[in-house]
Amino acid sequence: MELYVPILVLAVLAAGFAVFSVGIAPFTGPKRWNRAKLDAYECGIEPTPQPVGGGRFPLKYMITAMLFIVFDIEIIFLYPWAVAFDRLGVFGLVEMVLFIVTVLVAYAYVWRRRGLDWD
Amino acid sequence: MNGTIEAPTIEYALLAPMLVVFGAAIVGVLVEAFAPRYLRSAIHLPLTLLSLAGAFALAVWQALKGVPTKPAAMGAVAVDGPALFIWGTILVLAFVSVLLIKDEEHFVGSAAALPGSAEEEQSLVERAAHTEVYPLLLFAVGGMLLFPAANDLLVAFVALEVMSLPLYLLCGLARRRRLLSQEAAVKYFLLGAFSSAFFLYGTALLYGYAGSVDLAKINLALGSVGGQDTLLYIGAAMLGVGLLFKIGAAPFQAWKPDVYQGSPTPITALMASGTLVAAFGALLRVFWVGLGGLDWDWRPVFYGVAILTMVVGAILAITQTDIKRMLAYSSIAHGGFLLVGVIATGSAAQNTAALSGLLFYLVAYGFTTVGAFAVVTMVRDAGGEAWHLSRWAGLGKRSPLLAGTFAFFLLAFAGIPLTSGFFGKYAVFQAAVSGGALPLVIVGVVASAVAAFFYVRVIVLMFFSDPAADGPSVVLPSRGTAAVVGIAALATVVLGVFPQPLLDLAHSAAQSLFVR
Amino acid sequence: MTTHYLVLSALLFAIGGVGVLVRRNAIVVFMCVELMLNACNLAFVTFARQNGNLDGQLIAFFVMIVAAAEVVIGLAIIVTIFRTRRSASVDDASLLKY
Repeated sequence: MELYVPILVLAVLAAGFAVFSVGIAPFTGPKRWNRAKLDAYECGIEPTPQPVGGGRFPLKYMITAMLFIVFDIEIIFLYPWAVAFDRLGVFGLVEMVLFIVTVLVAYAYVWRRRGLDWD
Repeated sequence: MNGTIEAPTIEYALLAPMLVVFGAAIVGVLVEAFAPRYLRSAIHLPLTLLSLAGAFALAVWQALKGVPTKPAAMGAVAVDGPALFIWGTILVLAFVSVLLIKDEEHFVGSAAALPGSAEEEQSLVERAAHTEVYPLLLFAVGGMLLFPAANDLLVAFVALEVMSLPLYLLCGLARRRRLLSQEAAVKYFLLGAFSSAFFLYGTALLYGYAGSVDLAKINLALGSVGGQDTLLYIGAAMLGVGLLFKIGAAPFQAWKPDVYQGSPTPITALMASGTLVAAFGALLRVFWVGLGGLDWDWRPVFYGVAILTMVVGAILAITQTDIKRMLAYSSIAHGGFLLVGVIATGSAAQNTAALSGLLFYLVAYGFTTVGAFAVVTMVRDAGGEAWHLSRWAGLGKRSPLLAGTFAFFLLAFAGIPLTSGFFGKYAVFQAAVSGGALPLVIVGVVASAVAAFFYVRVIVLMFFSDPAADGPSVVLPSRGTAAVVGIAALATVVLGVFPQPLLDLAHSAAQSLFVR
Repeated sequence: MTTHYLVLSALLFAIGGVGVLVRRNAIVVFMCVELMLNACNLAFVTFARQNGNLDGQLIAFFVMIVAAAEVVIGLAIIVTIFRTRRSASVDDASLLKY
């Protein structure tokens, strides 16, 4: 039973933080309403009216989507390493740094070629 | 939870040639990111050439120092005699192909601009260039180095993709006839991805069978695991599909003519030489080392595939009217001749003979094919390279030197004595005869004769027909292209007249066979 | 009982394979290839369980990475040809033949 106490604490903390953030926002945040802000949240696309077949996306979404895939999937190697990084020692650390540097090179290319600019 | 995991031993010195190439590729990406546009090309070219030359020097140094007797990097990569020989071959061929690529006329200025649009005009005016070609090429070459040296199937799969993915992109970057180029890229990509999925499922099934993807352990399991033969046979067959696709063996040859025709010609040259060498190296390693104990089962299949490939390649080549497609079918037929050598296994001495024959053949064919495609880049008319055979009529009367060189390359493809192609075929067929595959050799000789017909037809067309009034012009080659044609012609002559040093080298590389 | 997973993986692979052969839209063809890769992943993980070692699970990670790289390259190529032709049908790409 005691094993679950940390998880419980984490859950309470997480829930508390969420309630706190949402609760305090009306009192501290600036209030500048417009139509877009009052809409239901839908990651950048207009929720209504829903176009037939989901509608078409501008092509520039593709670059963002592709970048997301690349940098998202690199995490997959970080997880196993994070689980055992103390046991892997310096070798694991060095290899991981090398891996991240390689991914950063791709990132630098995207950044310099203005792949991160929206317009 | 607390015991430290022992760090793996990695023989960096052995892997150095690959590391140099990959390192240069990454530096190339940084150059793309940070160097101003006008400097990029000036940095890329020496960087690419120097890294390839450096990697070659490291491979030679390794070979002189002595060939290791066990796989490196915890059994993942085997740097043995054949691998070093193949590395050297790929690096030299890639070096020569880069000289061809240097002439940037071949690549589109802005791949994202629609063909015929104002944007494209703009990119031409600005003399924009995709210098990404160089790092992409280095990544592809790095994959080609890793693929034949991969000693487990996971590394082989990753290497296969590292080799193929940049090539898919490079295929779509032709400056002229962009629709064809893009279509070639889509076809190559979809079919390549399809075939690599087969390779992967085969890997999964063999992993299920043997409990490991290590080639040596799979071979060990062949003798000890019983009752799971279905997994083994289906797995081996699927691996075969993936590998034979990359070689372009029938019935998986359909992509080859389309892709070879649509791609920028320097990239075609690289694919026809480097990719073929790498894929053959990997095929040999997987089937000789990993499934060596199963040879009685895979040999008949390869027997059939080899016959089909030779026949399809030789016969369909006759019907071609496009020079690049004809060379593609010729490449398919040569893949078939090489497969003859793959079957010629037996005793250790027999294996060495077959392997050294194959290695020699790969070098000889690689140089000749790069040279032939280099000539194709030089014969142009208003719309770019003149591909249609009718445009080549009478070329011998206008520029005898170029037509003569091309004729010489074609004769080498046909395997006429005093060219490198003859000794390549001779070494492979001789090994096959002593390996007991006489019927196969007879088919091979007949297919060679059929193939010789269409090579000679092109020669006759070039020298004995009248040139069209508005025929294509032969451009004055850039220094790079001229050097490529020169090197290829020289290699074809020297290997045809004095083949012995390279035969000896191939023999000593093949002496210890593949390490396990 | 790992057999069921293997059967499922083989089915997924076959569905993907048939999809590649019969579908006409390049994007859908490509999705079918991805389905085949995922079928491979399922097989790897199942065999890892069956063989009692972790190799298969580890390989699945690599396959995911490779699949992601393939998505990026594939979409770039397909979008380029779509923009040129206003069509992603593999039947329309028929300039290269004979």
